[in-house]
Amino acid sequence: MEKIIEAKNLTKIYGKKSNKFTALKDIDLSIYKGESVAIVGKSGSGKSTLMHLLALLDKPTKGTVYIDGNDASKLKNRDLNKLRNERFGFVFQQFFMNSNDTVLENVLLPLKIAKKGRKERNRLAKDALKVVDLEAKEENKAINLSGGQKQRVCIARAVVNDPQIIFADEPTGNLDSATGDKITDLLFDLNKNKGVTLIIVTHDEDLAKLCGRIIRVSDGQIISDQTVRKDSHQKASERLEKEAARVKKANREK
Amino acid sequence: MKLFDTIKTANHNLFKSKTRTFLTILAVFIGSFTIIMSNAVNAGVNDFIDKQVASIGGDGFIEVMPATAYNQVADMMQGGAKVKEYDEKSGGSILGANISNADFEKLKSVDGVKNLEVFHMLSTEWMRLQGAEKKYNVNVEYFPISGFNVDLSAGRMPDDNSPAREIIINEDWLEPLGLKNADDAIGQTVEIAIKQTAKCYIQPENCLAIVSGTIVGVQAPGVLTMDGDLHVNKAYDNELYELSMEGIPEASREIYFVIGDVEPDKIEEIRKAYRELGYEFITIDDTVGMIRTFFDAILIVFNIFGGIALLAAAIGIINTLFMSVQERTREIGLMKAMGMGKGSIFFSFSTEAILLGFWGSVFGIIISMVIGTIANNVAHNTFLADFPTFQLVIFNPLNMTVITAIIMLIAFIAGTAPARRAAKKDPIDALRYE
Ligand SMILES: Nc1ncnc2c1ncn2[C@@H]1O[C@H](COP(=O)(O)OP(=O)(O)OP(=O)(O)O)[C@@H](O)[C@H]1O
Ligand SMILES: [Mg+2]
Repeated sequence: MEKIIEAKNLTKIYGKKSNKFTALKDIDLSIYKGESVAIVGKSGSGKSTLMHLLALLDKPTKGTVYIDGNDASKLKNRDLNKLRNERFGFVFQQFFMNSNDTVLENVLLPLKIAKKGRKERNRLAKDALKVVDLEAKEENKAINLSGGQKQRVCIARAVVNDPQIIFADEPTGNLDSATGDKITDLLFDLNKNKGVTLIIVTHDEDLAKLCGRIIRVSDGQIISDQTVRKDSHQKASERLEKEAARVKKANREK
Repeated sequence: MKLFDTIKTANHNLFKSKTRTFLTILAVFIGSFTIIMSNAVNAGVNDFIDKQVASIGGDGFIEVMPATAYNQVADMMQGGAKVKEYDEKSGGSILGANISNADFEKLKSVDGVKNLEVFHMLSTEWMRLQGAEKKYNVNVEYFPISGFNVDLSAGRMPDDNSPAREIIINEDWLEPLGLKNADDAIGQTVEIAIKQTAKCYIQPENCLAIVSGTIVGVQAPGVLTMDGDLHVNKAYDNELYELSMEGIPEASREIYFVIGDVEPDKIEEIRKAYRELGYEFITIDDTVGMIRTFFDAILIVFNIFGGIALLAAAIGIINTLFMSVQERTREIGLMKAMGMGKGSIFFSFSTEAILLGFWGSVFGIIISMVIGTIANNVAHNTFLADFPTFQLVIFNPLNMTVITAIIMLIAFIAGTAPARRAAKKDPIDALRYE
């Protein structure tokens, strides 16, 4: 299996002197291409911090992140930007949208940054919105959407650039179970059919169980790293279908 | 981001906070309007002067005075006369500086001087149509007018070789004198009263001499009539002068100014020769130059005002953008997370600054042109009614482009500090910002 991200001795310390807080301690972790990884843990355990470090949004206090075997700290700014723009897709815990722009504008932002032409980016953004069932809202201002709709816009934005890795921080956190399932289906569909690597931060055990691998974090340390299947994206998909059916059934029964 | 996207997005972002953007643009507008308008008026004035100078002629006309008098006037114009050692030759005051007869002859013989005459300052009291009741204040003067292009609405130019006393009036005089029109004025006799200086010491209440003359022409409005002085021929001038000087011996009549006609292409050599003799002269060009300097000085003052307004506007731009950067911290973080580079972020905020400058100057241009057009129309219907070809305000596209470019540059410079702050934001810190 091809390592896509590798972390060695990752330590993240926030604040200085008396305010020092160690959010992550000596984390070693490898993520393989095509895996679906759930990062679970209590609130404040350092899940988001870990995800940000793996996504190269933040720099570790100690330790190294390797992307495709290359030390990320040695990447040129330009290459780093290109990497994030073209190969990564992000879903942030707090949405982060430009609330005064339209839904469409929000979704096509990564493409605009990638200097894609107007026509192409509009087409791609509309396609992405269709997938999350929001094509009817494309001209609405983002601020006027419901919480769940906002979350779906963020998902559309994360997939619009056809990324290789999707980092999703609580992607279903604000959704009812039916919509949540839809998003889950979408993400795992990308994982299954396109080989997109998923790194999902969640405290929803049901969602975590759909993933091929579950990493449990507590107080900034990995307390368990459980790979259900190594060749995750092939076999995991079958399991996914079973799981999905079970989850749906369970939800219906609720 | 593509350039066009950057500009569009920047413009879009600007108009998200309409009031703030509007006020900042207003500040830029005040500066650009002041500068564009004052430049346009200056262009109009200069154009007016150029056309008038071309139309009046008088290339070879000079007004000669002693260097001491000239310098004293120059000193006064530059902020006060200085204390100077007494010099017997130049005398104690400006008026004391006069031209001796010997010097007059020397000045006359300089190569290129065609004609040189003593200028008489005539202290005329009034003028009326012969037999009429009403008298009007008047100033008359004589100089060799042949080199000038005078626009006559009736009659002819006064003849300096004629022994008859002749005068040309301007159209303003027709009504006061009770004349129906310009043609009606030709051939009419006027009377001019002048003070007889010597006699006035003895008999102050009865010392006016009255000299009659014939109106031979009526001058159309133009630069030569602007000071209101009426032009008389040599015979009329001499008669008035002699009467005003009656009782004062020839030898003690002092010469203050000499006027003359010289060959225009020899003016600079003549100036040199005159300087060696201790004299200076002023040509039409010099006079026009002084007028131009005056208007240019006004222009500079207005440009300084405009510049100060722009400086204030630049601070407004800095402030606006800092607020914008602050408000959009999250958006910046998001864009950085999605792979937008520092350079692009800097560029997009700079673009906003430049756009503020751009819109400010565009509005400056539009409003100036609207006001300028109205002003031109008003002027043409009022004080410029007689000069259909003149424009009070002239807009020069190149000028406006340069001004706009400079304002955009100022705006860009103002925007660098906020833009740099935006570019330096860390994506995670920016995203965490509440
Ligand atoms: N910029 C920061 N400065 C100081 N402390 C921070 C900062 N960011 C995070 N922390 C702290 O680090 C710890 C881990 O934060 P993190 O956001 O990774 O938690 P989490 O596991 O994602 O929690 P949640 O499930 O609530 O989102 C928390 O205790 C948090 O207070
Ligand atoms: Mg979190």
